[in-house]
Amino acid sequence: MQRLLAFIEQNVHLILFVVLQAVCGFLMFYLNPYQQATFTHGAAGLTASTNQLTTNVTQYLDLKNQNIKLQDQVADQFRSSSLAAFHFLEDTLTIRDSNRVALFDIVPVQVVYNTANKGENIFVINKGSNHGIKRNMGVISPEGVAGIVLTTSARYSSVMSLLNLNLSLTPNINGTEYYMPIKWENKGVNILRLKGINKLEEIAIGDRVKTGSSTVLFPKGIHIGTITKLTTKPSSQYFDLEINTATDFRKLNYAYVVINKDINPIESLIGNVD
Amino acid sequence: MWIRIVYWLLIVTFQVLVLNHLDFSAFVIPQIFIILLISMPLGWSKMTQVSAGFGLGILADLFVSTPGIHASACLWLVLLRIGILNTQDIKQQIASKMDYDVKSVGLNSFLYSSTILVFFYHFYIFWIQNIGSLQWSNYVLTSMISSVLAITLIWILQYLTFQHKS
Repeated sequence: MQRLLAFIEQNVHLILFVVLQAVCGFLMFYLNPYQQATFTHGAAGLTASTNQLTTNVTQYLDLKNQNIKLQDQVADQFRSSSLAAFHFLEDTLTIRDSNRVALFDIVPVQVVYNTANKGENIFVINKGSNHGIKRNMGVISPEGVAGIVLTTSARYSSVMSLLNLNLSLTPNINGTEYYMPIKWENKGVNILRLKGINKLEEIAIGDRVKTGSSTVLFPKGIHIGTITKLTTKPSSQYFDLEINTATDFRKLNYAYVVINKDINPIESLIGNVD
Repeated sequence: MWIRIVYWLLIVTFQVLVLNHLDFSAFVIPQIFIILLISMPLGWSKMTQVSAGFGLGILADLFVSTPGIHASACLWLVLLRIGILNTQDIKQQIASKMDYDVKSVGLNSFLYSSTILVFFYHFYIFWIQNIGSLQWSNYVLTSMISSVLAITLIWILQYLTFQHKS
């Protein structure tokens, strides 16, 4: 306290200086029309800049909530849109029953854990059996296929990633079903392989690989990836395809669990699910 | 005491009646009244110096209808003067409570501090007066011309005072 008093005593002229400068500032910007106009203009600009900065920060901090809202909106759109109107997931609404009631529903989820550097990669989502999620349901990202639900707890589920040696999908390329499995062989992140495509097939680099009708876990036409490489041996009559996954698994933050609402009657008819 | 008051009145009158009406240019107005602040007695406390700066500034503002502008500049000038004087070896003069002029602190010290203070004052004044629409070339030119004129007049004034005291 004594130090403070001594400091004030020593610098009392500075305090007086600040007070008198404040008086001068008031006189300058209140009684001089030109300076007043400049001050008002400057203050308005400063206020606008501050407001803009505050808005930017607030919007940034609110991005997570906005993402969740957007996910919900996409899910609602999925449920209610017609085939033509729903471009985001392309042909996902082609599977409908005869009464035109959507066969698939989706649940927006967030990825809380994810690996892409192992042989058997999984990711964990923030919804589980409490939200109607069960084993063997398909999971898609905004870009395309992401995986299949492996196990569920009440609030979380683990999902076998497409980057898992144990997962395989049968593809549809250019409208044609192929019954050779697409597999991830741990030869690079986001790189899938498809072997044994006949050279006579009209397949080229850049063609999109989608889900076909030989699975009931995903709607038909969900993007799996894009062909990036075609290799063959001179003596062979088959192609080996390298496919870049549509989903970038290193940036996977949001996804949707696909629920086939009539999985049980369909399963009972076909006997099992792939 | 009376001599000081008359001296201050004379300088202020000269500033108000003569220098403020020079027709060189609308902007070239040498402010020589600040010599009163530059040469304030060394015995005055810092509080007194700040108060004197504010008072003289307000007085100058009254005559040119620029409320607060000269007062603000005078306050800054006093603060800068305190800083400059702290760097000079004038303990003896302070103890003797002498005025800060050529005779008491020497030509070099006075020239050094008065030049800095005069330039600072004019640059500050013209900046505040044109704030918001400053044309740099015009601003620098008028500030420089006014400062040089003011310094010349102040040095002449100091020479005359020096002769008178001698």
